[in-house]
Amino acid sequence: MFSGHQTSAESWGTGRAVARIPRVRGGGTHRSGQGAFGNMCRGGRMFAPTKTWRRWHRKIGVNQKRYAMVSAIAATSSPALVMSKGHMIQEVPEVPLVVSDKVQELSKTKEAVLMLKKHRAWTDVLKVYKSKRFRPGKGKMRNRRRIQRRGPLIIYNKDQGLTRAFRNIPGVDTICVEKLNLLKLAPGGHVGRFCIWTESAFRKLDSLYGTWRKESRRKKNYNLPMPKMTNTDLARILKSEEIQAVLRNPK
Amino acid sequence: MQSDDITWSIINKSFCSFKIQTKSQKFCRNEFNLTGLCSRSSCPLANTQYATVREEKGVIYLYMRTAERAFFPAKQWEKVKLSRNFVKALQQIDENLIFWKKYFRQKCRQRLLKITQYLTRMRKIKLGRQKKLVPIQRKVDLRIKRREEKALVAARIDNAIEKQLLQRLKDGTYERIYNFPQEAFNVRIDEEEEESEIEDEEEYEEEKEEEVETDEDVEGELEKEALEDERRDEVSGDNNCRY
Repeated sequence: MFSGHQTSAESWGTGRAVARIPRVRGGGTHRSGQGAFGNMCRGGRMFAPTKTWRRWHRKIGVNQKRYAMVSAIAATSSPALVMSKGHMIQEVPEVPLVVSDKVQELSKTKEAVLMLKKHRAWTDVLKVYKSKRFRPGKGKMRNRRRIQRRGPLIIYNKDQGLTRAFRNIPGVDTICVEKLNLLKLAPGGHVGRFCIWTESAFRKLDSLYGTWRKESRRKKNYNLPMPKMTNTDLARILKSEEIQAVLRNPK
Repeated sequence: MQSDDITWSIINKSFCSFKIQTKSQKFCRNEFNLTGLCSRSSCPLANTQYATVREEKGVIYLYMRTAERAFFPAKQWEKVKLSRNFVKALQQIDENLIFWKKYFRQKCRQRLLKITQYLTRMRKIKLGRQKKLVPIQRKVDLRIKRREEKALVAARIDNAIEKQLLQRLKDGTYERIYNFPQEAFNVRIDEEEEESEIEDEEEYEEEKEEEVETDEDVEGELEKEALEDERRDEVSGDNNCRY
């Protein structure tokens, strides 16, 4: 029973000097005689009421999903892309940032904060603090009141307390290498999130996704996608001797 | 590995947090940007070999970055302090960027020129008088105005003045009292008689307060006082006020 149809309204037809929209029957209340049922009526149902059985899910091939995953991981290693996404990595010593496995054993948030500060990742978290604000629009009254930026992503191999240490720091997400999530690696559909890898997590990447020389050990028959161009500097290629020699003179 | 073309195609088409787009121009908010515009050749993110001229606290530096250092964001910029002599600074730029693209040399020189120009202008302005521009926020301004009006009403200045004058009257600073036209006097008396008799001195004084502002009022009060005196003393009073 959807909203807007809980009336037994019928049109009065022609001849009554009113519009032909169905009107509520009966009498004795304000509601009687008011228009009903249309998307234009007050208290009527909306146009094309949205249904829960809309096709929400999309089937995407495994290979395509892995391609996206692998591209997102690659993007996190490019300081340009990470900076363009807005992360404050100007002071970070190296990108990709790989940290010793001791981080996995951290249990106190204080220690976690100290670790981020030592690796100069804290400015990114400060940016998250500054970005806390209320969502504009009706989302506020639909349980989506507050929004904030995304901060660094910590990728670990074995959780020995790490998730709980970083849990309460705003913006920071933690994720296991085995279960990398594209929604965390490329939030908003934009590649280049600032990632902090633990040593063992970083080493696992080879066996997870393969190198071009070797197949992946964890994913059956999977190898990294072959690039379309081996040398992507198109401008330089076009200016090179070999190509210039073969071109005809400009008219 | 990082490739400039790929980076640029992603930044340009998709999202760059430093890009600001207006109807006619694309600007780059990155602090190391050479021209301030968002374009393929001046994007510091899309060119691993990059140079800028920046000024910090009046000192001009040449910043350079090469592909070798591209993956160490903390150490990527090499800083060369430029001489305060403009010609020497130009030479320094040419020396340091000797095998670089013409674009960088040219733009660095232009930027150096602009920076030195604005620095000299700043120094000149500091020598002269400076008007400090204080922006007034409209909301704040209106709020203050409204509060002023309310404060004016709340202060009840009239009442305060009355009290003051009456106090002075009581203290006797006004030795002599003026003569007032007769009619107004009579009118006043009639009005006073209509009101209930006052016995408290305080109320007595309060009513006096109400009438201090105008001559007529003063005389009315005084007349009333006189009446009271008469009633008390049972002395026949004149219409002239007598204090």
